[in-house]
Amino acid sequence: MRTFWLASYPKSGNTWMRILLANLAVAGDDGADINRLSGGFASARAPFDRMTLIDSGLLTHEEIDALRPGANAALAESGDGDDDVPELAEGPVRFVKAHDAYQYGPDGAPILGGRAGADGVLVIVRDPRDIASSFAHHSRYGIDRTIAFMNNAGACLCGHTDRGYLQLRQRLTRWSEHVASWLNQRDLPMHLVRYEDLRSMPAATLRAALDFAGWPATDAAIHRAIALSAFERVAAQEHSNGFREAPHRQAFFRRGEAGAWRDELTAAQVARIEHDHGAMMQRLGYPLAGATHLSEAG
Amino acid sequence: MYSYALSGLTVASEVVLPGASPASGGPQQADVSIRRAPVPDALTNPTARGPTWQMAARHFLIHVPGVARFYLYDGRSIAFEAAAGADPDDVPIFILGTVFGILLHQRGQIVLHASAVEVGGKAILFCGTSGAGKSTLAAALAQRGLPLVTDDLCALSLGSDGAATVHPDGRRLRLWSQTIDELALGSRRGGRMRARLEKYYVEPDGVREQALPLGAIYALREARPPHHPGITAPNVVDAALTLRRHAYRPRLINRMGQDAAYFHAATAIANGAGIFHLTRSLNFKALPIVLAQLEQHWRDIGLCRRAA
Repeated sequence: MRTFWLASYPKSGNTWMRILLANLAVAGDDGADINRLSGGFASARAPFDRMTLIDSGLLTHEEIDALRPGANAALAESGDGDDDVPELAEGPVRFVKAHDAYQYGPDGAPILGGRAGADGVLVIVRDPRDIASSFAHHSRYGIDRTIAFMNNAGACLCGHTDRGYLQLRQRLTRWSEHVASWLNQRDLPMHLVRYEDLRSMPAATLRAALDFAGWPATDAAIHRAIALSAFERVAAQEHSNGFREAPHRQAFFRRGEAGAWRDELTAAQVARIEHDHGAMMQRLGYPLAGATHLSEAG
Repeated sequence: MYSYALSGLTVASEVVLPGASPASGGPQQADVSIRRAPVPDALTNPTARGPTWQMAARHFLIHVPGVARFYLYDGRSIAFEAAAGADPDDVPIFILGTVFGILLHQRGQIVLHASAVEVGGKAILFCGTSGAGKSTLAAALAQRGLPLVTDDLCALSLGSDGAATVHPDGRRLRLWSQTIDELALGSRRGGRMRARLEKYYVEPDGVREQALPLGAIYALREARPPHHPGITAPNVVDAALTLRRHAYRPRLINRMGQDAAYFHAATAIANGAGIFHLTRSLNFKALPIVLAQLEQHWRDIGLCRRAA
């Protein structure tokens, strides 16, 4: 089976994309169980140990990074996922979520394994102003601290060195750098998906992504998957059964809107994000609110 | 040569194995030898391979980059060649984990990724992947006076009556500094496992060194939907999958021709001592509740009459 990364900065719509893909693959009228999404995470620790046979709990983050290319290649070859939860029926393509920026290890090998790790990548992006409010809610960091995190070149997930994690360290870098790392890499065929387009034109946006990944689907199947993945439906599932990927005691599916930043961020917070990331925002077609920052950011 | 008792085997080693129990009794024929020797770069005609390893019949090669390359033969010998510039103290740490785990597979033994303590004369195993909280749970129980049986790797053998025996390895606990702080174990903290790793040896109060019958196996799960906190017993089919998933390096089961042995062991254990899921929050604040649940469960399954 072919492997594609679903690559994104956190809170950029990766999960909703996975739900859409799960609903394409699954039969029945109830919609895919959001707690049994298939494909797993590129950063899951257990598959790394399974493939390398080495106890990652005895390795430093840097030693793990040096082994990840080989582990990812072996995972792509075997099609092994994260097996903590029995997975739903899989589609014709194995989609694996990745929050890692596209980075190279100590010996220059791409950490995710280059062409040996995957056949291609769907890069999912979202307006960083919406990411800031969503991520702040998710992490309970507060918006200002989240904005600083999004502009920290050393930012990573699971990066402490004094504890064990179920995930490997994922280097995020700055938001703009994260997106650029994926858009600029030349190892993998890449298709860009804007979260905002996925919301406003779901059928056309999903169709283009599926065509890129080589997943044949009828229009009826695409419309059915979109209906089953409606925000209200997944939020209702989370409300009654919980969601395993939710932060502690908080809802994961909160608003899901595009443009919610307008009533959640202060003008100063918006200005700071546009100052930090204006160039990439313009490259992706997110109009800047503060025109005064154009020259500075560009 | 140093002589150790590890997972029920006598081991003659050219290098010190930190934390391993010295072999009892006089000089004897060792089951396993560990020595410095040239290690081939590759095997001829490997039958299976991974990013760091390859195997062919009784031969196995594994490479821990920056540490050493290891060559295992027939479950009887381990040769190693340290990497240039490697910290020599790193080599035995990987021998005691990955390498010995593979050797036990070569010997056809059931070997689980588990930590264990002794309760009422029996071994209670906690299985989980790296980061699942095995050692933390074993440390918290050891703090309550239960002898440590093993940390991280656990060898089992099955008698003709289907009863399972657990072979301790006398190892110390291996804990991240965060866990040591959270459990207030600072006074028991020993040396760092590796120079660049914030993981330390911790001496438990008591250690069990002789083989003992299996009391129960708990597979650790994080409490996230759809899994709710608590202790549950899977049906025998799920129990078989659970045991296999928690083998030490499950991919080797099939490659070593051990599928039937694991299935047989899982059936016998599920019908005997019991295989359970222990689902709980990974938050340290939840530990007292988890320990209380375990003590209640041990009374329920007849392992002890009073709380430990």
